[in-house]
Amino acid sequence: MTIDNSPPALEANGIVKRFGGALAVDDVSILVAPGEIHAVVGENGAGKSTLMRVLAGILIPDEGIVSVNGVPLTGGAKSALDAGIALVHQELSLIPEMTVAENILLGSTPTSFGFIRAAELRATAAAALDEIGVSVDLDESISRLSVSLRQFVEIARAVARKPRVLILDEPTATLTPAETDYLLAMLQRLAAKGMAVIYISHRIPEVFRICKVVTILRDGQVVDVTRIEDTTPGAVIENMVGKELKQDLDSRRDATPGEVVLSARGIRAHNVNGVDLDVRSGEIVGLGGLVGAGRTELVRAIIGADARTGGSALITVDGAPRYITSYQVAVRSGIGYVPEERRTDGLALSMTVADNIALPNRRELSVFGVQLRKKTTAFVTALATAVALKPPQIERNVGEYSGGNQQKVAIAKWLGRKPQFIVLDEPTRGVDVGAKAEIHRLVRELADTGAAVLVVSSDLPELLELSDVIHVIRDGRIMGTLSGAEADEKSVMSLASGEKMVGA
Amino acid sequence: MTTQSIETIGEVGIKQNKFNLLVWISERGVFVFTALLILFGVFFVNGFASVINITDVFYRAAPIGIVAVGMTFVVISANYLDLSVVAQVATAAVILIGVSNDYGLPLAFAVALFVAVLYGVVNGVAVGVFKANAVIVTLSTTFIGLGILRWLSGGSIFFGPEDGPVRAFGQAKIGSVPLSAIVLILVTAILWFVLTRTNFGFVVRSFGSNKEATRLSGVNTPLVVIGAFVITAISAMLAGFVLAAFSNTAVSTMSDGYDFQALAAIIIGGTSVFGGKGSVLRTLLGVIFVSVLTNILVLSSIGFGLQQMAIGALIVVAVSVDALARKVTKK
Repeated sequence: MTIDNSPPALEANGIVKRFGGALAVDDVSILVAPGEIHAVVGENGAGKSTLMRVLAGILIPDEGIVSVNGVPLTGGAKSALDAGIALVHQELSLIPEMTVAENILLGSTPTSFGFIRAAELRATAAAALDEIGVSVDLDESISRLSVSLRQFVEIARAVARKPRVLILDEPTATLTPAETDYLLAMLQRLAAKGMAVIYISHRIPEVFRICKVVTILRDGQVVDVTRIEDTTPGAVIENMVGKELKQDLDSRRDATPGEVVLSARGIRAHNVNGVDLDVRSGEIVGLGGLVGAGRTELVRAIIGADARTGGSALITVDGAPRYITSYQVAVRSGIGYVPEERRTDGLALSMTVADNIALPNRRELSVFGVQLRKKTTAFVTALATAVALKPPQIERNVGEYSGGNQQKVAIAKWLGRKPQFIVLDEPTRGVDVGAKAEIHRLVRELADTGAAVLVVSSDLPELLELSDVIHVIRDGRIMGTLSGAEADEKSVMSLASGEKMVGA
Repeated sequence: MTTQSIETIGEVGIKQNKFNLLVWISERGVFVFTALLILFGVFFVNGFASVINITDVFYRAAPIGIVAVGMTFVVISANYLDLSVVAQVATAAVILIGVSNDYGLPLAFAVALFVAVLYGVVNGVAVGVFKANAVIVTLSTTFIGLGILRWLSGGSIFFGPEDGPVRAFGQAKIGSVPLSAIVLILVTAILWFVLTRTNFGFVVRSFGSNKEATRLSGVNTPLVVIGAFVITAISAMLAGFVLAAFSNTAVSTMSDGYDFQALAAIIIGGTSVFGGKGSVLRTLLGVIFVSVLTNILVLSSIGFGLQQMAIGALIVVAVSVDALARKVTKK
């Protein structure tokens, strides 16, 4: 895909990267010419970020070679940096307590005998900011800057190293439309000076605005490489989601939703910008969207796990409505919450399966605060069997189990409470196929017994398979609502990536 | 897929079963070392295996033991420790003797209990609600508490009447076991029950193991922290009573070093400073170990300076073993 005959700025050949048994990147090759803005797109989990970390030398590939200007890279991150590859991370990696200038030169601070050459530091930092056309006080500490300004400082930090290849991973995720315009124009300027830019994004419109070539990844493999003028946004999205994953409509439940159990109005919180949401008894509502769209923040704000800045949530159990004023009220009112991060938020890994399952049920399993041990054992054993924990050894520490079994425990702890409303955030992330099917069965059973179920999932086939209704979230808002029957990968991705807006 | 899950378990299981000296020491060490130490004392140390000496060990172990057993709750809740036990013990001792001299025992008990609960709530609110660092909070409340005590007491020493009930309690023995040691065993038994058999103990352990997962299970976590500090404070109050009764005197400096000695017993007992893991029975064993060790050093005419050094070194070793063992089990 080189534009002329000069050597490619960056060439990767046959890159393979495994994590444990899982192939994250599967035989990927990519060629980027100097001055080219090259998009890498794909769904959540397609392998984009892993590939970029390989290119930047942060991860060592299991197979394949990365070369810059025809010279293969030998070592890790340091050698990639020296060769001229700079990565702007998705997660900000600046040090909040240090100044803008110090952060820009972090890791390449000019020193003499261990003393910082302050004047040179400031001059270099100023030049880098000048290069990207952003004016910010060099001595301001990062913690006082807005998130978007931090993003620009992060880019200045990469540019200060005068890279041949600049890699940006979702740089516009935290930016406003005006800031995004500015960033895109800036990238075009840098490219015009001969810098190669690899632009990773979920946002198809941005890709079509500035990129020359687009590489589409799916399940760790390159499914298409094409010049931007030879394709359309629709075709790109179709390639991202893949046609073979078409919905198996037979697996859909025959849902007959009942009364509204959970009613949220005007929910506002960090990254959530005014959402109305109803979930009915017996209904599975799916929340689709890209990573960072605000789905987790939304569900946590609804149930009070994190503070809201506005709006209210009403839960109706047995005809009695109750406002969710705190997370504890929510739990007492009969909600269950299976968080996204089971290892840090969902389970106490160093405690036993029995302890983890008993924790939210402790009041029912005690008399005057004294635990009823036999009752607890029977209760826990029944739930461990219900979720098909393998092996069902309830006195083992949860941390010793596989991810899928851990997730079953994280669900089981709520099942005994017969939740009226249950939220499952990424219920099958990092779970093997067998456990995934069992978890799907559990979610359906919950809805069949009358629970209102809210599922957040970045796994599109899962979302489509489980949900009766899908709300697609972007920028903390519902961008569209699709009924289970009309939703497919393409319609969800179109809404999620901002390619178009329908419904609502 | 079934087989895959079982393999995962099996694999991790084997890893866990593999012998690791650090894990072994952190989990079983205190039992063996205490037994060895006692055997050493019996066979090699003159005067160790006498009724008078054992009674003396009991007397000295009791107040520190009561503090340590209570403070185990704070340590298990992953809030490091409660340094203010130093002020709490001295305050309770001075109240017991000072107030009972003039106003009688019931009022002394009531005032002491009020002050203890106040300590627990202040520490607990600062740490549990405001999420302040426990070490700094309790270091500060030590200053506040000792400051108030010295201001109100004028730094004077309080003596109980020779024929008073405090004195009688302090001298009482069942066989050759002093009553204070019985109190230690009772407190340990009660707190063992609270920690292992009640919902409160359950959430303390769970909170120490994973704060966020415990909160997201619907537990009122600030209350858990407050509860742990209140239990510590009430234990410290009982320790203050026992200490005052032993000598029938009370002074604001009488409990200096209790914070560190209690922590030593807890850590040597094998309760993890990372929280979640530990027991009051282990702490009791830790108390016995430290008391016997100190006693042996004293009987061997080893000076106070070297004793201090030995305990300090032991703690560095114990904490390091805990941290290293944790790294190993975390796979």
